[in-house]
Amino acid sequence: MLGPKSKLPAVLSLIAALLGLLFASNSTLDYAKHLDRRLHDVHCSFIPGAPATSEAEACRVAMYSPYSALFKEHYWGGIPISLFALGAFAFYAAFAIYLLAYGSRAPVRALRFFGAVSFVPLFVSLIMFTISVTKLGTVCKTCAGIYISSILLGVAGVMAILASRSEAPDEPRAQVGFALPLIWLVCLGFVSLVPALVYAASAPDERPYISKCGELKVPKMKNDEFVKVHTAHPIQQTLLFEDPLCPTCKAFHERLTGENIIEKLDINLVLFPLDSECNWMLDQALHPGACIVSKAVLCGGENARAVLEWAYDEQEYLTRAGKNGPDVLRAAIKQRWGDVMLKCVDDRKTDVRLNNHLHFASDNNIPVSTPQMYLGKQRVCDEDTDLGLRFTLGQLAPEVLK
Amino acid sequence: MSASANGPVAALAGLGSGAVLILGAALAVRLWVSGAAERLTTPEAEKPKVAVADQSEVSYCTPQFKQVLERVLHSCGLAEGDSRRGCQPADVKTFASISDEDFNALFTPLKDRGAVVLFDEGEDKLDDKAKKLLEDKWFARRGARYFFVVARASKSGNQAKNRALSHRRANSVMFHLNEVANDPEIEQKVGLLWLGNEFAQLSKDYCSWPNSRAEEKCEDEAINRSAFVSWVDCRL
Repeated sequence: MLGPKSKLPAVLSLIAALLGLLFASNSTLDYAKHLDRRLHDVHCSFIPGAPATSEAEACRVAMYSPYSALFKEHYWGGIPISLFALGAFAFYAAFAIYLLAYGSRAPVRALRFFGAVSFVPLFVSLIMFTISVTKLGTVCKTCAGIYISSILLGVAGVMAILASRSEAPDEPRAQVGFALPLIWLVCLGFVSLVPALVYAASAPDERPYISKCGELKVPKMKNDEFVKVHTAHPIQQTLLFEDPLCPTCKAFHERLTGENIIEKLDINLVLFPLDSECNWMLDQALHPGACIVSKAVLCGGENARAVLEWAYDEQEYLTRAGKNGPDVLRAAIKQRWGDVMLKCVDDRKTDVRLNNHLHFASDNNIPVSTPQMYLGKQRVCDEDTDLGLRFTLGQLAPEVLK
Repeated sequence: MSASANGPVAALAGLGSGAVLILGAALAVRLWVSGAAERLTTPEAEKPKVAVADQSEVSYCTPQFKQVLERVLHSCGLAEGDSRRGCQPADVKTFASISDEDFNALFTPLKDRGAVVLFDEGEDKLDDKAKKLLEDKWFARRGARYFFVVARASKSGNQAKNRALSHRRANSVMFHLNEVANDPEIEQKVGLLWLGNEFAQLSKDYCSWPNSRAEEKCEDEAINRSAFVSWVDCRL
């Protein structure tokens, strides 16, 4: 049992709060950097102070997810939730210093208040962790840093409550009015909001930039048709260039699904595999096997969406299969979709169709990258398909968000 | 020190550190965001170059090669969408402004990309092997924009007859492509040339090129009873 003179609760909560502050700062900094619409490395490490890195896929997935920020329709990228953590941890750090300064005379109400509110970050962390595991399928290390800080803070909070039950006979605890915890609570709320308010007030106006990424020169495909991706309530004409073995396309597709956007898009799909086997615009295959899988999507006909989503779901396996040669990939397609599909994939007409899709890309001189989204003829900039997706759709196609 | 004595100190420590921390956090956020805002309005000094989708452009697309092809394409009406189709020997000589040898040499890099479709003497009918080879080549388009057909006739017979024969051979190729391609824009893709027997005859060396009668004896005369077909991977 902790003695009344133990400084452990205050010290531990100070360490936890400072750690949380550091991880929340890293996360906020990563978010804020991207407001310039450029690509940046991202912090993704358990080690406090570790530099940003390009190998930070899990943290990028978390950052681009719908759960990373609030008010995404009103602010480009939204208001990152790490800002609230930043404010809250600043409060907890200050309160820990307050308790530390009080020492063994710390008021019972202060200890109990601290004990009670110290569970708030833990509660939020539990929610975010559950979302990470169940919705994103990955846990980013920076987020995990905040979760660990929250656990430490929770432990310190329990210690504070336990400490409040005892008193040193020679050093009676100070008394504070019953209204003070209420004031502290208001302070916690206000301080948690301050960084978010500052962020919102200083965020740049991105509207002039979202329509500056070009247009389709040739909106219709010559000699062929787009692949129709059937959705529930298609209201916004959308053209997507995708590669079924491209991880970014998969993430984009999941984002459209997760943000409840996809069902309102009237999607025409252009297959643009980044595989030199069929795509002459590449010197070497970025996604070996993507040509064959693209042909399977073409052969899907009315079920093209199901084939595309199967390819995304099985992307890691199909990518490995693609690296082992076309026969392995063809066997995987046959196993899932049967002989008829494989026959279609091997048909010369399908080669020609895929080539027509690539020529459509070439006729429009689109950037050699995937995914790409066009609303009508207007190209949506790459940065507006991830962080700025909801804001951009709110500007260019608001009915999609209703 | 009594409890009431260190109360204000603790409060001051808490308030002071809280103020410092929250002001620091707010200031940092402000700096990060305004830094991004400044970069947003400042163009990148070294903007990463992004490859742009386009038709193929391979190493044999030398300026001279492209110049000749362009002249031929424009002169044959293909590029302008004119109703006139094909180039006659005289046209080619004039527009290409190039000697026989140099003209043939231009096509040397197309040896593996293209093929020679061979005809019987005095005939313009494509046999089954010729049709298959032609289809194989046509459907292996990849990133090419133009498909060239260079029909020839051997030196047997007079010039007028050979010009007509060469023309019919070019048309046979075109008709067959029309049948199999199902491409409404085929006219904008296929460049037809018929050379008769007075310009750019092929030497026996060209017998080693992929052709539709690989198993048959190939000589000077046989190799010129032909149509050379190939996609050209150049942006014109």
